[in-house]
Amino acid sequence: MKQVVVHPERCVGCMQCMIACATAHSKTQTLFTAVQEDPLPKPRVHVGAGLYGEGFPNRCRHCDPAPCMLACLPGAISRDPDTRTVVIDPDTCINCASCAMACPFGVIRYHEDASAPAGKTVAVKCDNCLDRQRRGQVPACVEACKSGALTFESTGDAQRRKTCEVAKTVSRDAGFEQLAPGFSMLNTVKRTQIEMAHR
Amino acid sequence: MEYVIIGNGVAGIHAAEAIRRQDPAGPITLVGDETFLPYCRPMISMVLEGAVPMERLPIRGADYYEKLGITPVLGRRVTSIDVDARRVHLPGHPAGIPFDRLLIASGADPRPIKADGLDLEGIFYMRTEAQVRAMLETLPSVKNALVLGGGLVGFKAAYGLVRRGVRVTQLIRSDYPLSMQVDRTAGEMILAELVRKGLDVRVGVAATGFFGRGRVEGARLSDGSELGCDMVVIGKGVLPALSFVPRDRIDIDLGILVDAHMETCVPGIYAAGDAAEFFDIARKTRWVNAIWPEAVIQGRTAGMNMAGRPVALQGSLSRNVIRIFDMDIMTGGWVDPPDSEGFQVVRRIDRRSGAYRKLVLDGDRLVGAVMVNHIEQGGLLIALIQRQAPLRMSGEKLISTGFNYRQLLN
Ligand SMILES: Cc1cc2nc3c(=O)[nH]c(=O)nc-3n(C[C@H](O)[C@H](O)[C@H](O)COP(=O)(O)OP(=O)(O)OC[C@H]3O[C@@H](n4cnc5c(N)ncnc54)[C@H](O)[C@@H]3O)c2cc1C
Repeated sequence: MKQVVVHPERCVGCMQCMIACATAHSKTQTLFTAVQEDPLPKPRVHVGAGLYGEGFPNRCRHCDPAPCMLACLPGAISRDPDTRTVVIDPDTCINCASCAMACPFGVIRYHEDASAPAGKTVAVKCDNCLDRQRRGQVPACVEACKSGALTFESTGDAQRRKTCEVAKTVSRDAGFEQLAPGFSMLNTVKRTQIEMAHR
Repeated sequence: MEYVIIGNGVAGIHAAEAIRRQDPAGPITLVGDETFLPYCRPMISMVLEGAVPMERLPIRGADYYEKLGITPVLGRRVTSIDVDARRVHLPGHPAGIPFDRLLIASGADPRPIKADGLDLEGIFYMRTEAQVRAMLETLPSVKNALVLGGGLVGFKAAYGLVRRGVRVTQLIRSDYPLSMQVDRTAGEMILAELVRKGLDVRVGVAATGFFGRGRVEGARLSDGSELGCDMVVIGKGVLPALSFVPRDRIDIDLGILVDAHMETCVPGIYAAGDAAEFFDIARKTRWVNAIWPEAVIQGRTAGMNMAGRPVALQGSLSRNVIRIFDMDIMTGGWVDPPDSEGFQVVRRIDRRSGAYRKLVLDGDRLVGAVMVNHIEQGGLLIALIQRQAPLRMSGEKLISTGFNYRQLLN
């Protein structure tokens, strides 16, 4: 089964995933018209800045067991049996924010949404773009990510690839191999700039 | 293996489900005083408020017990436990019900008060759906309500009644509400919001008696004055419901003492939820954290252990999230430790946006957090308290509204 895999070392913080996500969860599903919708579509992936300005696409991990699901008061959070995706039913949600208190990643937001009854504020988070997946598309954030920070693959494949990359770096005469060459340089530059500014 | 669970609250049902996942066949008997379907207790105050209809309370379906293969024994209270014969006793079962593994998940009962005239109509505790149902029946004829207590339940009752358009007077002991959950600054912010919306709060007075002809018409207060009211809600906290537990055999402090496996001092007998007293991660001592998410996780853990899977919990943690009018409050851990404890306190307040944050640090570990508004990242702070992992950033960074998960990766 394919999943969205995050490679933090490759995120440049461009926030294209956020725009793609908001658009994919809008009523009209195109950027041009989505920006005129009411309520204004909001992203479910959140690029936060690290202490040195590095990016990171923070999205729901669909944990198992999921702390939000255990904490939900009205029983609005469940798991889609086929994709293991944790989903929130906007009709059952009572906007109590118990899930915000339970989520160790801070990926749940509270606002009106195209998927919810009109005028109702509900808990909103990543649904792995289940609608898109049913149409044979990959999740919108992955489609939009040009730096390879978000991929859609089986975790087994992703782990094998990573294991190989790491293995190369530990063989006796391998030098230090950059896992994401351009990106580490960018992040080093950002970090240095911030450290210099603080001095 | 025969399992008996006392209490069909959330701790009891999560235990039953966890047992079933490990042990598909072992007989499970669930004894519960309430006959309603398993329901969400915290939501009863939202029913009072009118935000949620009564039908939305159940969190499990009508075929729940049958589907899980559980024998429900409802509408009865266990009266005693025979630890040696391994049986629980209750009316209607002269021989008792035998068990190999027992879970005490009897929750808590409202703390009773001493006052004259408590048998008058219109005086309520607010713990069960039945009590809220009765309150709703009286509500159309209520104009002035009196709420006793400024804890979570008293506060929610007062809020619900204000939202219903009732004139509410609330008597609280400390000078701000929710003093067990929030610190003074947040408590005063909440109080100001409630008063602005019409609540009349009196500090430091108690009710000594009630009068009326059949139905309550007023209360006598400790300062000698009288107050007219046609409804009274008593919300003076809760006490673990343990009258049937043999204190000479099972160790009890305020709640039943349990270890990391939710087991009591008697092998094979477990306790979970509001009835249990477990190690508190922030306070580093045993404590009753009578909250929904603890009841869920403790019930689940007890169930797994009862069915033979040894799972340990690190400890419990007090935490709460409350939304009133346009204000969001989230708290976790030890929010108001005495100065003598030597903790570092970091605060930030922005009066204009109404945002407030406070963090309590023990060296490089977070032990408490209060947030008023902008609570979306609050779960991260609660997780940091729960994990007790050393922080690699300053309290100043942590308290900033820009704090996010990425910063924990540095
Ligand atoms: C109005 C209100 C608002 C709340 N709001 C919040 C909130 O916002 N957040 C939060 O975290 N928590 C909240 N709580 C607390 C939360 O509801 C409890 O922590 C939780 O329900 C505890 O679950 P439990 O299963 O341990 O006990 P309970 O839910 O109390 O269930 C125990 C059950 O056992 C039954 N029982 C007791 N003795 C016996 C016996 N001898 N034999 C048979 N059955 C017995 C009881 O009748 C009851 O049905 C609120 C509570 C109330 C009343």
